[in-house]
Amino acid sequence: MEYILFVATDPEAEPYDETKDNVGEWVADLQSRGIYRHGDRLRPPEDATLVRTRGGELLVTDGPFTESKEWIAGYDVIECVDMDEAVEIASRHPMARFGRIEVRAAWPIEELAS
Amino acid sequence: MKYFMFIAEDPNADPYVPEEDDIVGWVHEMVERDIDREGDRLQPADRARTVRIRNDELIVTEGPFTESREVIAGYGVIECADLDEAIEVTSRHPMARFGRIELRPFWPFEG
Repeated sequence: MEYILFVATDPEAEPYDETKDNVGEWVADLQSRGIYRHGDRLRPPEDATLVRTRGGELLVTDGPFTESKEWIAGYDVIECVDMDEAVEIASRHPMARFGRIEVRAAWPIEELAS
Repeated sequence: MKYFMFIAEDPNADPYVPEEDDIVGWVHEMVERDIDREGDRLQPADRARTVRIRNDELIVTEGPFTESREVIAGYGVIECADLDEAIEVTSRHPMARFGRIELRPFWPFEG
């Protein structure tokens, strides 16, 4: 099953230390094990655009979908047997230390499952 | 340009009407237009786990990373010519009406 990791900042985490950020190795390890699907870093929430339609009208505003102190800085999609494996893999992502990671299971829409 | 779509719930959106949720038609059109790259619905946020390492200890909690009423219900990755096209594509996604969608440009790592 696919699991999505939302890689978020956390003001209460330890300060970022570039020398301990081994995200390249983390991705390479998962790729060599054939469980890495895709993922990337995202521009910060200042660059976000929020899109809604209400009463048939399009509303476009700047900024993220939620006003939270923590924000999502990137994402990864991995293929795991279960949530426990996904949590174990997430725990080795450097941003588990410098931020926090939300792990979500995919729930494919049947008509679109290929 | 690649954009990430955070497809979120919104307590202030229109009530959900299953018959008017044409997500399958939207995906087919965006695949045909060579815009749709990735995407999926997610299992409900109460089944999420949030993972942190603090003082070298693993802390796993239930639920999403933030206590927001606008939880993430799905995601998408689209490839568009510019932000205007991304907004047009997003505005016709059913969750623009039944929820809210945040577009965020990619910021690829170098190399």
